[in-house]
Amino acid sequence: MIVLKSSDGETFEIEEAVALQSQTIAHMVEDDCVENGIPLANVTGEILAKIIEYCKKHVEGGGGSEEELKIWDKEFIENIDQSTLFNLILAANYLNIKTLLDLTCQRVADMIS
Amino acid sequence: MQPQPHVSPTTANAGISAAFESQRVRKNRGNYNCGRCGQPKKGHVCHLTLPSTPDVPSTPISLEPVSCISAAASSSRSTILSLTSLTSAPPRQSITHLRRALSFDDVDARNSTQDESDLDPMSTDLDLDLDLDTDVVQPGRFHAVGLWEVLKRLPPSSLLMAARVCKGWRETARRMWKAAEELRIRVPERAQIGYIGSLLQKCPRLIRLSLKIESDIDATTLACIAFSCPNLEVLEISTSGSAVNRISGDELARFVANKQGLTSLKMEGCTNLGGFALSSSSLSTLWLADLHSLSKMIFNCPNLKEISLEFSRQEDDSTDLVTMVDGLGRTCTRLQNIHIASLKLSHTVVLALTAGDFRGLRMLSLVLGIGITDASVAAISSSYTNLELLDLSGSSITDTGLGMICDFLPDTLSKLLVALCPNITSSGIQFATAQLPLLELMDCGMTVSDPDSDNATTEEKSLTPQRTSGYNQKVFIKHKRLKKLSLWGCSSLDALFLNCPELKDLNLNLCSNLQPESLVLQCPKLQLVYASGCQDLLTRAIRKQVSENFGASENHLPRKRLSDGSKRVLAAPLFYQETREDDIYTGKRRKIEKEVCKIIQ
Repeated sequence: MIVLKSSDGETFEIEEAVALQSQTIAHMVEDDCVENGIPLANVTGEILAKIIEYCKKHVEGGGGSEEELKIWDKEFIENIDQSTLFNLILAANYLNIKTLLDLTCQRVADMIS
Repeated sequence: MQPQPHVSPTTANAGISAAFESQRVRKNRGNYNCGRCGQPKKGHVCHLTLPSTPDVPSTPISLEPVSCISAAASSSRSTILSLTSLTSAPPRQSITHLRRALSFDDVDARNSTQDESDLDPMSTDLDLDLDLDTDVVQPGRFHAVGLWEVLKRLPPSSLLMAARVCKGWRETARRMWKAAEELRIRVPERAQIGYIGSLLQKCPRLIRLSLKIESDIDATTLACIAFSCPNLEVLEISTSGSAVNRISGDELARFVANKQGLTSLKMEGCTNLGGFALSSSSLSTLWLADLHSLSKMIFNCPNLKEISLEFSRQEDDSTDLVTMVDGLGRTCTRLQNIHIASLKLSHTVVLALTAGDFRGLRMLSLVLGIGITDASVAAISSSYTNLELLDLSGSSITDTGLGMICDFLPDTLSKLLVALCPNITSSGIQFATAQLPLLELMDCGMTVSDPDSDNATTEEKSLTPQRTSGYNQKVFIKHKRLKKLSLWGCSSLDALFLNCPELKDLNLNLCSNLQPESLVLQCPKLQLVYASGCQDLLTRAIRKQVSENFGASENHLPRKRLSDGSKRVLAAPLFYQETREDDIYTGKRRKIEKEVCKIIQ
């Protein structure tokens, strides 16, 4: 289990498989500096909760078929307000979660065009 | 027009210039500021000009600070651009395809309608991210990487619009253009002259360009391309609608000769070429379609590996194919893939081809030539013994020809296409499948009589059933490696037995006389069955056989969520009704390989 600490002091405990979707966290785990939890100074608790929700759904082998995932993604991305969306982009970029970054940026791109 | 309301400042819009900040402040006091320059309207004549296109939506939805360049997407503007990016393109893209009668790849290029499959990632985008942070004006938290990512996913037309938002965005968009390596444009009918030119000038690093023209194209566009894209390597021009390609042979030759790095050139609609002498040391792929009556065709391209020449299907084509092939044999000896589609293909052309020294020839496709005979086959198969693909669709070869192919090419041939060959019978085909152990693709469409056939798709595999008059043709195929089989249009076929463990794709379109009870499919990996024009009973029989095969090959018993919401262990599929078959194949976990068999009608 990996502990993540958001910038406002909230802690989240998640399974390693869920956390490893973030390349940043994966590298930290490789470098073995995760004993006391991982502080994420750029990410607030609310956003981190959303990200964990996304990662839990997308962890390998679970969650259902591809179509179900797509539907879930669509609902996930359409039910958040703009500020959360932007913060998600920032966080996904910082945590280097490619799929989430794709999803969020694509949403914004769709909103622009 | 009022400036659009921004989201609250805390949401960090990158690149919001100071002007907008002040506008917002003033806006709170009342609606009397000029929308363009922010000055109060009273007694004010605005000198700023906004780009005025009638199609631009009057309310950009919200000034999102991030936008992404993505592959081509259609927009409300008159031109449609597409830039490829690291991510897959939005589904709005329009893909340009050059029509090929023969695709040398396994996947038929025409069938891929998904945009994602055509995009190439541009890896240079990421390298530029580091520069963005320092240069782009960004007072907010939403830093440049976010902007870059979103801009990457925008269609080019939206990118052009995004560049008008503010200086920061303009700068980022400009960098995006500079980073662009691949561009796909659809040029509509009423495109402004010079639009392509101005667009291409934004992308000096362009390597691959794909144009789909809907209006006429001539040498000025070629000159534009030559001038603006010094690093161009791949150029594709496809036509659609009533577009006329007015490029002449000389102009094309000049373009090719001057473009030093050009490796791939694909052009459609080449009716006005007239004759050309192409000289290029870098060209390795050349596809020309709709050729007609060429006076001379000289290919001085020693590195040419793939050539595809499709002549128009008009009877008055006066091209001298023999001389052309002679020339090819002398100058382009490194050819590996040859595709010629012409009604004038004849035995003499084939002899000229075999006289050439194409040592590396792997794929040979000579379609539509009724003049190709068994003697031609003998010549081909004895000269080029390493062929992997042989396509002689539309020719008059017979079973003897097939026998010769099996004699000479059993060690390498993996794709055999003999669609629309009226003289082939099922015994020849069965001999062929028995003698060609590496065969993966076999196309024998329309080899049974029925003359009103549609397009000769050479991609399909099929076995030609016996072509004796009348019905009651039976085909038995047992092959270990066969993956794709096409029996489209074999309307005399009434019994089919297939024992092909690797078969993935089966085409039974228009096999209208195939009896459901004489159909045996022992193909557990079957994924796609085309059955349009077949009887309903036949379709049901197919489904049943497929599900039986599928059920038999399952090692574990996955849980399926049935339509009534409950989860059951999959029992023998025979217990399920026809209508439930789709449910059986849904609900699989992602890791399990999808073994859904689709039946397309």
